Amino acid sequence: MNRDLASYKFLDDAGDLFRFTGRFFQQWFKPRYEIAEFIRQCYIVGYKSLPLIGLTAFIMGLVLTMQLRPSMLKYGVEFELPAIVGIAIVREIGPVITALIFAGKIGSSMGAELGSMKVTEQIDAMEVSGTNPFKFLVVTRVMATTFMLPVLLLLGDAISLYGSYLGVNIRGDTSFTLFWMQVFKNLSFNDVLPAFVKSYFFGFAVGMIGCYMGYTSNKGTEGVGSSANSAVVLSSIIIFFLDLLAVQITDVLGFN
Amino acid sequence: MTEVQQATNKDQTMSITSVLVIRHLYKSFGKNHVLIDFNLEVHKGESVVILGKSGSGKSVLIKCVIGLLKPDQGTIEMFGQNIPDLDHEEIDQVRARVGFLFQSNALYDSMTVRNNLEFPLRRHWIKVTQEEVNSMVIEALEDVGLTHTIDMMPEELSGGMRKRIALARTLILRPEIILYDEPTTGLDPITAKEIIGLMREIQAKYDTTSVIISHDMNCIRTASDRVIVLIDGKCHAIGTYEELKQSDDPKVKHFFE
Amino acid sequence: MEKQGINNIKLGAFVLSGLGFLVLLLFMIGKNRSLFGSTYTLKARFENVQGLVPGNNIRFSGIEAGTVKNIIILNDTTIEVTMNVEKKMLNIIRKNALASIGTEGLVGNKVVNIIASHEEGELATEGDLLVTKQALSPDEMLQKLNKTNEEIELITKELMSTVQRINSSSAIWSLLNDPSLPRNVKISLGNIQLATGKAALAAEDFYTLIADVKNGQGSVGRILTDTSYAQNLKDAILKIKEAGTEADAVARELSNVVSGIQNDINSGNGAIHSMLKDSTVTQSINTSLENIRQGTDRFNQNMEALKHNFLFRGYFKKLEKQKKKELVKPE
Repeated sequence: MNRDLASYKFLDDAGDLFRFTGRFFQQWFKPRYEIAEFIRQCYIVGYKSLPLIGLTAFIMGLVLTMQLRPSMLKYGVEFELPAIVGIAIVREIGPVITALIFAGKIGSSMGAELGSMKVTEQIDAMEVSGTNPFKFLVVTRVMATTFMLPVLLLLGDAISLYGSYLGVNIRGDTSFTLFWMQVFKNLSFNDVLPAFVKSYFFGFAVGMIGCYMGYTSNKGTEGVGSSANSAVVLSSIIIFFLDLLAVQITDVLGFN
Repeated sequence: MTEVQQATNKDQTMSITSVLVIRHLYKSFGKNHVLIDFNLEVHKGESVVILGKSGSGKSVLIKCVIGLLKPDQGTIEMFGQNIPDLDHEEIDQVRARVGFLFQSNALYDSMTVRNNLEFPLRRHWIKVTQEEVNSMVIEALEDVGLTHTIDMMPEELSGGMRKRIALARTLILRPEIILYDEPTTGLDPITAKEIIGLMREIQAKYDTTSVIISHDMNCIRTASDRVIVLIDGKCHAIGTYEELKQSDDPKVKHFFE
Repeated sequence: MEKQGINNIKLGAFVLSGLGFLVLLLFMIGKNRSLFGSTYTLKARFENVQGLVPGNNIRFSGIEAGTVKNIIILNDTTIEVTMNVEKKMLNIIRKNALASIGTEGLVGNKVVNIIASHEEGELATEGDLLVTKQALSPDEMLQKLNKTNEEIELITKELMSTVQRINSSSAIWSLLNDPSLPRNVKISLGNIQLATGKAALAAEDFYTLIADVKNGQGSVGRILTDTSYAQNLKDAILKIKEAGTEADAVARELSNVVSGIQNDINSGNGAIHSMLKDSTVTQSINTSLENIRQGTDRFNQNMEALKHNFLFRGYFKKLEKQKKKELVKPE
C-alpha cells in the first residue's frame, strides 16, 4: 500500500513536471516577449556564475592532469598527457562538472527565489500587475539557463585546459603552443559538438527543474527550502541521465 | 433570516450602481468545498468588509474576483464583465482598474521600491513616458508618506513600511476598486491603526470602492460601511458593524466577543 | 539604468568570449582535419595497411600534410589508400616519393609517411600513385634487436671459454712447432681488437644517440620517448658494452698467452718443447684459434648488422657524415 502511494506520487510529480515543460513550450512562442528580463537573467545566470564555474573548472583541469600523470608515466606515454586531458575535459568532465556546479548554484537559487516569490504571493502580484508570471519568470529563466550554460561550458573548458597546462608544467616543461597543439591535434568535431549540444539540454533541464520546484513550492519557508534542495538533487540526477542518453545517441549515430 | 435580509438588500441596491456583483459562486479544492453559493454586491464608493475565520475561503473568494483562481460555478461581474469568461488580455484590462493589496505585501525582493512601483505601471500602461512614470511614483509614495525610501530594497524596510509601499503600488494605477487581503495581519496594533487610517484617507481622496478581508475587529469597526460574515462558504449575515454586533445569531456573536 | 547598461556590456563580453572560444576550437580542429584548406588526392598501394583508417594523418618528411580519405581493397594482396593532401604540397611531393605506413610513437595512431627520394622526378598531381615501401613495424625492430643482443652474448661466452681452454691447456706449447700458428694468432688478435673497437664505438654512438634523444626531437626521438622502448635500448647497449669489455679481456689474455709462449721459447724451456711435439694438440689449438677467428668475425658482422639495422641506419649515416666532415675540415 505504502509503496503504491510512493510510486503514485512519483508518477504524479513526473506528470506535473512534463505538464510544466509543455506549458513552457506553449508559452515560449507567443508574445509578449520579455526580452529585457531575459537579458537580465542571462546576466545573473551566466556572467555571475562565471567565477564559480571558472574556479572549479581550473581546479578540475589541474587536478585531473596531476592525477593522470603517474599512470601516463607508467605506460611511457607522458607526452600524450595534454591530449588525454584535453579529450577528457572537452568530452565529459567539462560538460558534466560545469552542469553540476551550475545546477548547484542556479538550480537552488531558482528554486528558492521562485519558491519564496510563490509563498509571498509575488507571483500572484505579477499576474495582477498585468504580467504573465510564467513568461516573465519561468520562460526567461529557462531560456537564460539554456543559452548560458553552453557559453559557461566553453569558457570553463578554456579555463580548465589552462589549469591542465599549468598541471603539465608542474613536473614537466611544455610550451603553451606545444600544449595547445597537442590538445587540438587529438580533438575532433565529434568530441566538441556532442558535448556542446548536450550542454543545451543540461541547461534546459537545470532551468526547467529549478523553476518547476520553485513555481510549485508549498506554502511556508520549509517549502522554499525543500524546493531549492530538490531542484539541485533532481537536476543533478537528470544531468547524469541526459549524459547517459547523450552518449548512447552519439554512439548510435556513430559520432564516437 | 439571512436570506430575507439578502433579498431586501438586493432590491435596495439595484438602483445604485454596483461595481462588483457575485452570484452563486462555487469553488472547491478536491473534496474541500470552500465556497458554496456565495452571493455579494458591492456598490460604488462603499467599503465592504468580509469577515470570516481562517480557512473559511475569504482569500479564495478575493482571488476568484481578481481572476487568480477560476470558480467552479457562478458569475463575478466587474465593470459589467464576467471575470471567469474573460481571456487573458481582457482580464488584464479589468485588472488595470482594480488594485489588490496582498496579505504578504508581495513586494518584489529583487527590485528597489521605485522599480516595484514602476512595474505595474509599465506593464499595464505601456505607453507612458519616463517623466510620467517618475512623477506618478513620487505621488504614490507621497500618499503613503515614504518618499525617502524610493531607492531602498524591500528587505531594508519594516513591516509597516512594506505594507505602505505595497499600498502605494496598488494605488499607482488609480484603481476604481481596491481589494485588501487582510491588510492588518502581522502588524502591531498601532501600525495597523495607521494603515487603516491610510486606507480611509485614500478611499476619500480617490473615491475608490474597497473590499476588505479581515478578522481584525478594530479594522472592521473603523473601515467598514458594511460587513459580510462568511461562514462555511456562504454569506451568513450582512449588516453594518453596529447591526451585527447586536445580532442574536450565535455564530455571528462569536466574532464580536 | 546606467548599471543595467554596464551589466549588458559585461554580459555581451561574456557571451562573445564564449562563442569566440567555440569558433577558435572549431577552427583549430578544422585546420587539423584539413577541412578548410583545399586539398588534392594522391594514392598509394600497400600489401598491408597495418590498421590504417580514414582520417589518419599523412606526413611528408615528418610534416603534417593531410589525412587519409579512404581505403579500398583492390584484390587480396593490394590495398589502395587515397589521401587528401594539402594543396601547398603540390610543388613539393614528387611522383617518385616513397610512401610507407608508420606509427605515431610506439602505440599511437598509424600514419602514412611520404619521404622524398633523392632523385629527380616529376611533381605529383591529382590522383597520382606513389611508390610504396613496406616499413618495419616496431615489433620486428625490437625482435631483431633482441636477437642481436643474444648473439653477442653467445659469442662472448664462446670467446671466453676458448681463451680459458688455451690458458689452462699445457698442450698449447706445441703450437710453436706450427709455423702458421703465430700468424693465425695475430689475425685472431687483430680481429678481436677490431671487434672490441667497434663495440666500444657502437656503445659510444648509442650514448650520444640517447643524449641526442634526450635533448632533441625527431622521429627517432619520438620513438625513444617511450619509456619501455628506451629501457629496452638501454639494456641492448649495456649488453653490447659488456660484450666489448669481455672481448677486450679475451684479447688481453690471449696476448698474455702469446707473450708467455714467446718468453718460454726464448728461454728454451724443455717442458714446453716436449709438449709442443704432440701434433694432435697443435691440431686442436689450431681449431680453437679458427673458432676464435670465426667468433670475432661474427661479432664484427653483428655490430655491422646493428649499424644497418632499422631506425639507427639514418642516424649512423649522419654520424659518419659528421665524422667525414670533421676529418675534412683540418685539411
